[in-house]
Amino acid sequence: MDLVAQLVANGLVNGSHYALLALGFGLIFGTTRITHFAYGPIYALSAYGCWFAAAPLGAPLWLAVIAGIATGAVAGALAYLVVYRPFEREGSPPLVILIASLGLFIVLENAIGVVFGTDTKVVPAPPAGVFLWGPLVVTSSQLAQVAALVILGAGLALYVRRTRFGKAVLAMTDNPEMARVIGIDTLRVSLAAFVIGSAIAAVPACLILVKDGATAHMGFAAVFMAFVAVVVGGVGSLRGAVAGGLALGLVESTGMVKIPTEWQSSIAFVVLFLVLLFRPRGLFGGRQ
Amino acid sequence: MRKFSLPVAAFTVLVLAGGVAAQQPPKDPKTYKIGAILAMSGQASFYGTVMSQGIKQAVEEINAKGGVNGIPLEAVIEDHKSGNAQEAVSAMNRLITINDVKIVLTSFSAPTQAIAPLADQHGILLVNGGGVSNSLVGVSKYIFHNRSLAADLGLAAAAHLQSLGAKKLAVLHWKNDAGDSVVRAVTPYWTKLGGTIVATEAVPQGATNMDTQIAKIRAANPDAIGLWMFNPETGLAVKRIRELGMKQPVIGIEYTANDAKIAGALGEGYLFINDYFEPSADQPWSQRFAEGYEKRYKTKPDFYAANYYEGVYMIAELLKRARAKGGDYVNGESLKAALYTNPKFDSVYGGQMVFQPNGVALKRVGLFKVEGDKNKFEKFVEIK
Repeated sequence: MDLVAQLVANGLVNGSHYALLALGFGLIFGTTRITHFAYGPIYALSAYGCWFAAAPLGAPLWLAVIAGIATGAVAGALAYLVVYRPFEREGSPPLVILIASLGLFIVLENAIGVVFGTDTKVVPAPPAGVFLWGPLVVTSSQLAQVAALVILGAGLALYVRRTRFGKAVLAMTDNPEMARVIGIDTLRVSLAAFVIGSAIAAVPACLILVKDGATAHMGFAAVFMAFVAVVVGGVGSLRGAVAGGLALGLVESTGMVKIPTEWQSSIAFVVLFLVLLFRPRGLFGGRQ
Repeated sequence: MRKFSLPVAAFTVLVLAGGVAAQQPPKDPKTYKIGAILAMSGQASFYGTVMSQGIKQAVEEINAKGGVNGIPLEAVIEDHKSGNAQEAVSAMNRLITINDVKIVLTSFSAPTQAIAPLADQHGILLVNGGGVSNSLVGVSKYIFHNRSLAADLGLAAAAHLQSLGAKKLAVLHWKNDAGDSVVRAVTPYWTKLGGTIVATEAVPQGATNMDTQIAKIRAANPDAIGLWMFNPETGLAVKRIRELGMKQPVIGIEYTANDAKIAGALGEGYLFINDYFEPSADQPWSQRFAEGYEKRYKTKPDFYAANYYEGVYMIAELLKRARAKGGDYVNGESLKAALYTNPKFDSVYGGQMVFQPNGVALKRVGLFKVEGDKNKFEKFVEIK
């Protein structure tokens, strides 16, 4: 029973990480319909931005995190303007943009390795606090991951519901063509989606940097889990992205109570397969 | 008279054949091309970086002294993308068809297994300084290993845990051939020693999160934990085990500088059994290598860099020996024969490494303990 409780706690922590990744990816995917696989290396680049500010430049950690978020936001904007937008302007089919995204993924991932080296980057940070709650053990870095989801999730929900710009994002998520017809500046909204989505991804990237260190290749697992969480939750639904991420984390962790852990990395595929089979629109996907 | 004619004729033919062979001049290439198939990209590219640096340094040093037999060495480095067998085969094919190499430095278990049939087919000498799975022994007629096998290191680690009085062992291992080979060797050995394995948890190579596995190990309440895995997961595992409040002895079979960086202060007390590479004044070659490496790459050499560095020197020695026999000597068969004429080679670790009939070199192996930012040498360990 103690083990189950611990695995549920771990699942919530990991799920919060996936949910944050899915929020950013889902915002971009839902708004622009671009399968932005380069989201992975941009996530990694954000961690490197944070590391660069904290380690070589010696900035305090809070400032380094801001630098990491700024790195992600700028990289996201550039990815859209330099790589995807020209294809959109040409009216290229989604497959072409998808291939461009994969190309950008490879270029960015290798560029990070070439520029910063292939070793793991760590930042000077105080040791993680350990909290013992009965049979449960959690660390301050794990709590930070859950807190980040709560704060950013609530903030994004308020933003898209209460602001005019947020409503434009929702309109584009719902129907991009109709949004254009009614006069929404879709270029501006798409750019904003890339900036905000990439900035959101930068937060879990910085937290992982502090917790476990960063590598040039950390983006693959991140974009993969974000993609699965968005599909499981329902494309176009930010609430679904969060639910999908949390569900993935919980299933991946609690499923290991009886199943040998060597199967853990397969669980995301199984969940994806089952959702595509029985609920192709995802848990919260509705109208499309 | 007739009784002697057949033996005499045979003897005459042998003498003549021998004479002809001995008189054959060596067929020298313009350069000795040494291929290397390493993890130059991907999750484990740290290995490819340090291994290739060791190779380049050795090649530069040897060429600066006029090459081998007056012929320069040339390193051709290919990428198996951190253990991808298919990429390794493609790389091997490029080395064979484009570069016409007859000597390849290989790394990682799966890629080495994948290229072994090509090595046999084309008579290519393989020198493995990184792959650690037992399944690599004899995988090719022409393969030699100057890296201790993981299973041997694991057995030595288990023996040390038993000497500490541990009975209940939990294992966290890589789910691949390298990790599985240690599990296969240590599990029956530990049981035979009278202990029990209370948890065997697996993580994929490249795992960034192993909290679930560590939670299961914690629930099993072991006396000690064995880490049958490699960089960077070792560092991450040590860190998370300690962060989650476990105080048991943790022992492993590797601890690179990268692992140490990840684990930070939480690596304190971690034990590991590994090839013993420690540059010191009483081993001048080790010191020269370390100084040259630091000058070139602004970092201290890893033992993997040392393995590939000394691997190139060993190949140079083989080329000298094989050339003395004349003929077409740059091939797996001639170089293998040259190796077994005297299986002892100077090791940059100090002393000599001696190749056994199974192709694995016996080298100095030690038990280390992490203390502060140092890996404190505890004692030499016998590998049988």
